[in-house]
Amino acid sequence: MRFIWVLMVAGMAGEAAIPGSLTGQSMAVDTGSSSVLTPRDSALHVLNRLAYGPRPGEVERIAKAGVQDWIRTQLASDRPDDRALARAEPRYAILDMNPRELAARYVEEQRERKREKEKKETEDQPRMEGPPPEGRRLAGELQQLAVIRGTAADFQLREVMVDFWTNHFNVNLQKGLDRALVPAYIEHTIRPNSLGRFEDLLLATARSPAMLFYLDNAESVAPGAEPPSRRRFMRFPPPERKNQPKGINENYARELLELHTLGVDGGYTQQDVINVARILTGWGIARANQIGEFEFHDWAHDEGEKVVLDVRFPAGHGMDEGVRLLKLLANHPATMHHVSRKLCARFVSDEPPDGCVDDAVAAWERTHGEIRQVLLAIFQSPEFWAPAAKRSKIKTPLEFMLSAMRAIGAEPDTTPRVAQAIARLGQPLYLQASPAGYPESQDEWVNSGALLQRMNLAVALAGGSMPGTMVDLDRLTPVTPDYRRLLDAIDQTLFAGTMSPRTREAISNEVKDEVDPQRGRALAVGLALGSPEFQRQ
Amino acid sequence: MDVTRRVFLRAGGLALCSFGLDPLFLNRAAYARRAPVIGRSGQPILICLFQRGAVDGLNMIVPHGDALYYRERPRIAVPRQAVVDLNGYFGFHPSLAALKPWWDNGSLGVMHAVGSPDGSRSHFDAQDYMETGTPGRKSTPDGWLNRYCSHQREHHETPFRSVAFGPELPRILSGRAPSLAIADLHAFGIRAGNRPASDKITRAFEAMYEGAQTGLLATSAQEGFEAVRMLKSVDPTRYSPENGADYPRSPLGRTLLQIAQLIKADLGLEIAFADVGGWDTHVNQGAGDGQLANRLRDLSQALVALATDLGERMADVVVLTMSEFGRTVRENGSAGTDHGHATAMLVLGGPVQGGKVLGRWPGLDPANRFEGRDLAVTTDFRDLFGEILDRHLGGTELSGVFPDHELSPARFPGVIKG
Repeated sequence: MRFIWVLMVAGMAGEAAIPGSLTGQSMAVDTGSSSVLTPRDSALHVLNRLAYGPRPGEVERIAKAGVQDWIRTQLASDRPDDRALARAEPRYAILDMNPRELAARYVEEQRERKREKEKKETEDQPRMEGPPPEGRRLAGELQQLAVIRGTAADFQLREVMVDFWTNHFNVNLQKGLDRALVPAYIEHTIRPNSLGRFEDLLLATARSPAMLFYLDNAESVAPGAEPPSRRRFMRFPPPERKNQPKGINENYARELLELHTLGVDGGYTQQDVINVARILTGWGIARANQIGEFEFHDWAHDEGEKVVLDVRFPAGHGMDEGVRLLKLLANHPATMHHVSRKLCARFVSDEPPDGCVDDAVAAWERTHGEIRQVLLAIFQSPEFWAPAAKRSKIKTPLEFMLSAMRAIGAEPDTTPRVAQAIARLGQPLYLQASPAGYPESQDEWVNSGALLQRMNLAVALAGGSMPGTMVDLDRLTPVTPDYRRLLDAIDQTLFAGTMSPRTREAISNEVKDEVDPQRGRALAVGLALGSPEFQRQ
Repeated sequence: MDVTRRVFLRAGGLALCSFGLDPLFLNRAAYARRAPVIGRSGQPILICLFQRGAVDGLNMIVPHGDALYYRERPRIAVPRQAVVDLNGYFGFHPSLAALKPWWDNGSLGVMHAVGSPDGSRSHFDAQDYMETGTPGRKSTPDGWLNRYCSHQREHHETPFRSVAFGPELPRILSGRAPSLAIADLHAFGIRAGNRPASDKITRAFEAMYEGAQTGLLATSAQEGFEAVRMLKSVDPTRYSPENGADYPRSPLGRTLLQIAQLIKADLGLEIAFADVGGWDTHVNQGAGDGQLANRLRDLSQALVALATDLGERMADVVVLTMSEFGRTVRENGSAGTDHGHATAMLVLGGPVQGGKVLGRWPGLDPANRFEGRDLAVTTDFRDLFGEILDRHLGGTELSGVFPDHELSPARFPGVIKG
């Protein structure tokens, strides 16, 4: 393992040192080159990457208390309950609903909708697309919950990792039954496993109804397999399904190899895809009474022999061979590399240097895929701390919105307005159609329309006119007629003193003649949130 | 997966000979500040309308010459006397009657039995495949119209080259090439209550993003402000359609009006895209009247308004409708249709070899149907789209647009005049 040299050098690399703010173990990190990050730089850097940006005063606090300590507390497995979260969460009814309840609601709603539709057809109205109102309300609640958690949680790294894995194991809230299954997917599949062992997470997603439905594995059966004869003595026998599946469906098998584990260049063949699909036949979703829960269907399982990645899976096995396969995939070298690289792309750089990827893979090997240890290796790699890494990434729309709210101490309310704003920026939560999830690289997020939209949102948010948010700029800085002091305060809180002269000048030019200091403050903050440096992390 | 950064592609031909970062950025920045000299007539334009939900091609373009059509659809077949006959066998749904003059003058063609080689009946998957242009492959990150723009660099650099109307960039236009998503042309830009406040804020942001800044943020922002400026100079708030064109007051009508505005503004538009919803007619879809008839009437009225408004400019324009799949030949238990396979697409515009139903008609005989139930696909949608890119837009770098599919003029359905 490589160690980080931690030392304090004030005033180097052109960074303004703030006397008095550095005490005790406050340290800068030497990356082996002449450039050095000050403690405040380091604090801002980790808050930008391991969290959704700093809240007012947080850079100071963490720089003082020690950046490494803060990282350790974010990674600690015995963290106390997140009190901020505990205060914010109970407002969400969706957390109390179990998957069966939601699925039953969904099915009932579909029936109701059909009845409504039949009634309405004579009235000749064009049909509305999209989910019905109740479904839309719940979808909005689920999206907004992610916003609340990302803004309020003290345990920020968990929220970042929940987002990372939700995206890595993407599902789509808009695809049929997934409307009812995604809430449980987030709560019970992703969240509890987001900092555990990758193998457990992979297994959990493989048996999650949301994934089984989204990637059609629930439709995949051994060729010629027939469900057992209808149970006659049931009071409500399940209706004969219109399109009874007749063979394997390769969809999940392919994405499992290509996206979830080995990666597109992971060395598997088309025959491997087919055999993975055969091994996973029978991994399905319960219907009727147990709707919404995982169920293994013996009758649908292909019991023949299979070979995947040159490993033999002998004939005569059932669900156990799927578990064996998933464990094999979870710790395959190609998987370690593919997933580690993706983590480094999230935390270090869009095109991550080999060094941090190698460190992550080494930690994975050593710990059999303990996500905490893999992350720690990344956070300790010199590449993570390289001055070149600082602000080298563009925020995604989610990161932009959450960091803007955190930066000025704004609080989202329970309406899905903020989630809708994030959707307008191009990242509707849980609604990415492609199983590849949302991209991480800046090329995909920066376009002129979206940037203008970010600027509009920045100005509206700071001006208190963005619906769904409560803003009190006093948390950031008091009203002052002195625009220089105002700019200093914004620079320190939002950028740890690294605002570019160009941005400072542009803001100064607009606010220095503002007669109403209240308005001047809102304008200055809005412009700062829309500035190029605030788009970066 | 992405090796080339978008910004290289944007820098045009220069990217071919230089891979140094800064010169390209600087070049790009310099370019963005030059006054746009784009307005030239003769710029070919493609307008794509996606009928989301799967339009019933058989009731849109009715095979009224086939008795099987009437036998399979006792409640929803369009009565023979109501069909607008086209060639003795096919006819328009009566709601499309207003489009007949364009058929007669040869600028409206119909592509029938077109669709995806993939058999999926999921809206979700099939829309995705039609937008990525890679049927059967779900992990494709970008759309084929965007790949066209990425590969085909022989085009004036303008933020308005490809524009999607709607709040988000649809899959078909996402990717490395710059594309604008415009929810409302009139509201595009910095909005802060009143004009002076907006101008003030715009000025501040422009100053921040301009000049010494290099990189994607700077170039994109400059493009955005350029777009705003270009739009301001044409004042989209003041527009009156020409030639007595009467756009329906529907979302589609409003969108097509804005597209016409953009075209006339000569801002370098090459590709416009919009969604049209409401085609998933599982229940009581109607025959000559009813639900589907209303949707089709809106479509034809909007198209007629656009073509009328654009007048002579239609010589450079092709409008293409597309839909993820068609619907079952046989009506279902609730007088609607379920998800099927092949459908029909309309192609309208001066360059169109119109007045014909193109493609090979597989017939409705159950023996010739896809999986025994749906209209079979005889034209791969990529051949239709590819022909339009090739012969209408004049694309020369098309090999990467449909990566799994080799475009060959021999397979082009012949929708564009030779």
